[in-house]
Amino acid sequence: MLLVFCSVLCMFSATFAQTRQVAGKVTGTDNQAVASATIKVKGGNAAATTKADGTFSLKVPAGSVVLQVSSLGFATQEVTVGASQATVNVSLASQATDLSEVVVTALGIKREKKSLTYASQQVAGEEITRAAGTNFMESISGKAAGIDIKVSSSGAGGSTKAVLRGARSLLGTSEALYVIDGVPMVNNKGSQPGSYGGNDRGDGLSSINPADIESISVLRGANASILYGSQGANGVILITTKKGKAGKVAVDFNSSTVFDIVTGIPDLQFDYGTLGGDKNWSKVKGDYQKNYVRDYFQTGITATNSVSVSGGNNQTTAYFSYSNINSKGNLPTNTYDKHTITLNQSTKLFNDKVTLSSNVIFANEKSYNRPGAGYYNNPLTGLYTFARERDFASYKANYQTFDAARNLYKQNWYSTYEFQNNPYFEVYNNSKLATNSRVIANVKLSYDIAKHLKFETRGNIDYNDVLFDNRYAAGGNSVSVSPNGTWSYTKYKDQSLYADGILTFNNNYGDFSVTGLLGASYTKNTFNNGMNVGNGTISLQYPNFFSFSNLPYNVIFNSTVSNTIKQGAFASANIGYKEMLFLDVSARNDWASTLALTGNQSYLYPSYGLSAIISQMVELPEVISYMKLRASHSETGNEVPYNVVNPWNSIGGAGGPSGIGGINRNSQVPFTNLKPEIITSDELGAEIKFFKGRLGFDMTYYNSVSTNQFLSLAAPSGSGYSTYYVNAGKIVNKGIEITIDAEPIRSANFKWKTAINLSQNKNEIVELIASNPTYQVGGNDEGFASIIKAGGSFNDLYITKFSRDESGRIKLNANGAPIAASAQVKVGNVNPDLIAGWNNNFTYKDFFASILINGKFGGVAFSKTEAFLDSYGASQRTADARASATIPINAVSSTGTAVTSIDPAIYYSVIGDRNGIMEPYVFSRTNVRLAQLAFGYTLKIKNASSPIKTAAFSLVGRNLFFLYKDAPFDPEQSMSTGNGMQSNDVFGMPSTRSFGFNIKLTF
Amino acid sequence: MKKILIASLILIAFVSCTKDFEGTNQNPNQISDQLLKQDFNLVGSPFSGMLYNLFGGQVEEDLCYDSWMGYMNTPTDFVVNRNNTTYFITWNNYWGRIYNNVMSPSKQVIRLASENNLPLFATWAKLIRVLGVSKLTAVHGPVIYSNYGATTSQIDYDLEPSLYNTFFLQLDSIQSDFAANKTYTGFAKFDPSYKGSIPAWMKVVNSLRLRLAIRLSKVAPSIAKAQGEKAMSDPAGLITANSDNFWVSLNGNIMPLAQICFQWDDTRMGGVMESFFIGMKDNRISKFYSPISDATLYADHPSDPYKGIRNGAYLKPGKERTTYSKASNDFNNAQTRRAFTASEVAFLKAEAALRGWAGAGDAKTNYENGVKLSFADWGAGGVDAYLADATSTPIAYVDPKDSRNNFTPLSTITVAWSDADNNELKLEKIITQKYFNTFTNALEAWVDHRRTGYPKIPSVAKNDSDATWGSIEVGQYIKRMPFITAERTGNTAAVAAAVGKMGGPDNIATRLWFDTGVASNF
Repeated sequence: MLLVFCSVLCMFSATFAQTRQVAGKVTGTDNQAVASATIKVKGGNAAATTKADGTFSLKVPAGSVVLQVSSLGFATQEVTVGASQATVNVSLASQATDLSEVVVTALGIKREKKSLTYASQQVAGEEITRAAGTNFMESISGKAAGIDIKVSSSGAGGSTKAVLRGARSLLGTSEALYVIDGVPMVNNKGSQPGSYGGNDRGDGLSSINPADIESISVLRGANASILYGSQGANGVILITTKKGKAGKVAVDFNSSTVFDIVTGIPDLQFDYGTLGGDKNWSKVKGDYQKNYVRDYFQTGITATNSVSVSGGNNQTTAYFSYSNINSKGNLPTNTYDKHTITLNQSTKLFNDKVTLSSNVIFANEKSYNRPGAGYYNNPLTGLYTFARERDFASYKANYQTFDAARNLYKQNWYSTYEFQNNPYFEVYNNSKLATNSRVIANVKLSYDIAKHLKFETRGNIDYNDVLFDNRYAAGGNSVSVSPNGTWSYTKYKDQSLYADGILTFNNNYGDFSVTGLLGASYTKNTFNNGMNVGNGTISLQYPNFFSFSNLPYNVIFNSTVSNTIKQGAFASANIGYKEMLFLDVSARNDWASTLALTGNQSYLYPSYGLSAIISQMVELPEVISYMKLRASHSETGNEVPYNVVNPWNSIGGAGGPSGIGGINRNSQVPFTNLKPEIITSDELGAEIKFFKGRLGFDMTYYNSVSTNQFLSLAAPSGSGYSTYYVNAGKIVNKGIEITIDAEPIRSANFKWKTAINLSQNKNEIVELIASNPTYQVGGNDEGFASIIKAGGSFNDLYITKFSRDESGRIKLNANGAPIAASAQVKVGNVNPDLIAGWNNNFTYKDFFASILINGKFGGVAFSKTEAFLDSYGASQRTADARASATIPINAVSSTGTAVTSIDPAIYYSVIGDRNGIMEPYVFSRTNVRLAQLAFGYTLKIKNASSPIKTAAFSLVGRNLFFLYKDAPFDPEQSMSTGNGMQSNDVFGMPSTRSFGFNIKLTF
Repeated sequence: MKKILIASLILIAFVSCTKDFEGTNQNPNQISDQLLKQDFNLVGSPFSGMLYNLFGGQVEEDLCYDSWMGYMNTPTDFVVNRNNTTYFITWNNYWGRIYNNVMSPSKQVIRLASENNLPLFATWAKLIRVLGVSKLTAVHGPVIYSNYGATTSQIDYDLEPSLYNTFFLQLDSIQSDFAANKTYTGFAKFDPSYKGSIPAWMKVVNSLRLRLAIRLSKVAPSIAKAQGEKAMSDPAGLITANSDNFWVSLNGNIMPLAQICFQWDDTRMGGVMESFFIGMKDNRISKFYSPISDATLYADHPSDPYKGIRNGAYLKPGKERTTYSKASNDFNNAQTRRAFTASEVAFLKAEAALRGWAGAGDAKTNYENGVKLSFADWGAGGVDAYLADATSTPIAYVDPKDSRNNFTPLSTITVAWSDADNNELKLEKIITQKYFNTFTNALEAWVDHRRTGYPKIPSVAKNDSDATWGSIEVGQYIKRMPFITAERTGNTAAVAAAVGKMGGPDNIATRLWFDTGVASNF
């Protein structure tokens, strides 16, 4: 394939052999040189930029050409250069800046930013690849306002949770829709670890090669995405991929190596051992091994290599890239390997009236032993709580011992406690393999029907073949592993077919400009189409053989397939008046298969907005170069989940030798009056630029209200049913987003660009079910409860506090141990009050540097890990307490006498562990970190004979250190990217610091 | 303009087809009623699941009556050693199991049986309802039964007197339906218990009637006597031989007791049973429990390598009692569990004989027959010597890890029957032996204990009951489970009405109807 591609490129190259050189200088009307102005050949693709002194040099085709000269803060100017003319000087007129900035909006349609009635923010591709991250969403954290991004602590290939403007969906994810070049991308998230264990099963984002991204546009509101229907209700992340450019063949090679060092190991003690049991509560100091925890973790290494070849001529352009990520994780045996191939082309046909383009992405990922979290089969529980007086080295060397009674190897560990495993047995003998092979392929045809009329149609298939194969060896922990081993096997394919057709109309009538759009889309998704089987603790027939033939009769195969079809028709008009006032009106009708039988399967929702360029209308003080105000209102209908209207019956089991497996009759109340959820969103915004665009503010206020939420309830006991659903609830998210960008220094040699992104979201669950005010989503999960209920906010944290008397003293029981309060109480909300990012880019001559500081302020974080370590006497906190023999406490005994000190073992045994008094383990989520640092040098090779044109070398670092952090773990590196376990740590992977280097060569 | 029109038409054609939406929204992993009509699966297939759900699992049984009655106790300090086993209610799940997995599907079966003209399936479903709800009422007292499935927002409870009356009337009608269809074979495929034998189910009907009659023998003696005599005189007979025993299939699942004990390490032998079995030299001990190797644990009786955990024990974090006796390994291979045995019927008849009910026969014969049937059923030997033992009595229990869990036995009974004993002592022997036999069906033993005060077992070592769920006085026992929170908050008026007639608040200290509070049994 690569060979064919290269020969095609060579053919293109032959067509632009006839060229000549044009040089010149660009100045302003004040005769000052204009640096960084762009000079482009009209109708072609050759381009150059001016140097600091305003001069440029450009290869142009033979004959007379028209050059387009543009620069920020100046009006674009066209000059004709005669066939024999070799030099040209251009004088540019100043202009209120940015009027013609073009942004990518929904469905890949480019629009002038000034006409947009809603908030959008663009992040350039170089910001994504600068710090050599493997997760492109992590790379934009802090670089765009209004997004709360959390990444899984599971390492390379792990999943991401990106929520725009707050959570609103009770059963869904509230996460943004990802769109590649106008086509929605499937982003199915695999299961996430919970309190009892599990592994991050990734999501769809890791299929994307960050180096292929030209830019990302963040459309925060539902307004921007009405053209996607409900999928866009949570905001849209638009990914524009790199394309070939006519006129030049470019080869880019990028290589980075990044090292990950574990930095977030809990503060453990190694001085006190156990008294022969599991818990390190000896009061006598011993001389024990100290480094085995640190030594258990290895330095992670992630090597990313990518190459891209692009080019083309005036008819055809093409882009090809290949990338490989190879990563060794921080846990022994954890690896991740990914290959991606991207190929896109675009060809103009029939006198350029028709453009046919295609894009194919192929990704293959393989991850082995991706770290998990939770109690079961997690090496970290045994590692952290290890009985200090024992010899860890021998458990490492002899992680399995031969069981003569069974003639097989079994785990060698001193404790049979269900949460404990030998950390080496766990990683060496229990394997967790995840692979997926994915193809995203699309074709787009664009036809200029007439001067003002254009038709575009697109077809896309997104196909993913997924495997999860987890094998737990015989002889492991009996609670989680059957005596002959446990096998959990899941294999399925996800397929999404998407097609749309859009007719666009564009014309000017005097002072009015009209852009109209009429379209339809069709999406058919078949997800989880395959099977899963797991024997759990039902024993396999023969030990350590993981095959279908080895499953006992009473293990049944299952499938969780879902099929949905969604059709939409939409229309939109944007009317401009004198380039200063723009009115946007849109409407969409959806037909959703998940609402079949309800009579509500077809639903219409409108949106409208207005934007006004104040700086065009009235004379403003000179410092203000641009001012725009915008307002919009949108409604979005959201279909309900698959198969809830009237499900059938399920087969309840395999049956026994004495009978067939019974049928579990569906006992859900039929919900034939089900309605779509409705999200109404209003936003107001202002964009102001000062000093010819060197300082800019973009502010947005939004208020989004979700109603008709789809809620599941336990049916009343006597009703004849077990569950029913209602459409109810009202969830409000309102907030402010501010982006400030500035270029404080812009001299010939030194430039400093800086941007601050701030956002604040306030979530309010106004009502869930009016007739049932105690209704809630979520409940106690091993001492931690993340609850959504009326009067509160999304993910309020509830925990058990101490029982206290009227004067606030902790009540003790007859044994002198603290008593738990009888009910859990709210102690905060896990979501931050303020998200801030401060991004700085510096260039000095050919050196460049970037610094990103990210902060999240407010919210709470909860550590079950610490609770466990305390009750096991494994934390340094317990050692300190033992050293001073007692812990001061303001308490009262069961007989009413005041108590001022308590024995550490009694205290921590009661407050810690699984369901203890969790009050001391609630921390602030507030943290401020040096999120990214890059420093490098670009070498421009002037020698024309050199195959390498530029070479850039940089040192990069991510998550380097915290300027402030309260929680004992990193709340932004999450054990789960699902809804329920946010800002909760149950033996998740410790946080890491990453640094490395990046080499970029352009040929 | 023409082009726009054409393009618009194409777009409209593109989206107008929604006719396969309904099929798309059906899950191919779910089976339709249409397909289930084949082989009459539609009405028959829910039965094995309903039968299975007559019983509970860890939170319904092991951490409730298995512990309260001293059969088993957890070594795990769940919720900091303060939970159902120490009389602080943490789990209350049996209610939901019965309504969601027995009442709801049986309602559908009754409807489908009528629609498909298979009336005997409705009869069978009603019998399973009586089996299930007669257990549920023994946990909570008033329950929703005759108003089940009402569409009103308030669904009233059946108070116990009328509920039992309803049970008896339904058993009448069930038995007459069965009697008219003794050779019907339609259940065969769906009935893991009796392979569809109607005469076998008729024995269950009579035995259940006798069980419920004995339950009411103190609170409503005349009704009890009439129903008991009816049960014993019905020509279809009772469960009399072990081959008649009513077994419920585990449907391929592991026996909950084995899972809780062997996989989760969350339950061990009860100290109460240790006191009885070792003291009274009962060979069933090895059929119920596993011996242990650590001799320091059973130094109090070195020749009997078993150690149990006291009911409602004081436990430290960290499962320090996992080395105590597990359940017997046999439970790992169990594919069925006991729902009603011939031995239980024999003990019911023994008590009926003491009460002078016609047709009950002789108390001693029934008593000894019950013990023999139980030994045979559990596969234990030496029953004759056991029955003759007039000296061995329960021993004191010692917890080698925490002396607060120790107890001296409240009972001094022996196994051997003596006609010279008074009726109370005779009843104590009957109920105590019935209690031994009814292992893994502990709810019936909890009923007998509340009703008669037998077997004489110690109260919980650690009593965490308080005003939250009701206070149980020292030396006293849990009387019932509270109504579930969803009913308390969602069906408030009906719960209040039921509680108003219960003779006490909705807590664990209020006695049920059959639990008269009168010490004397005669």
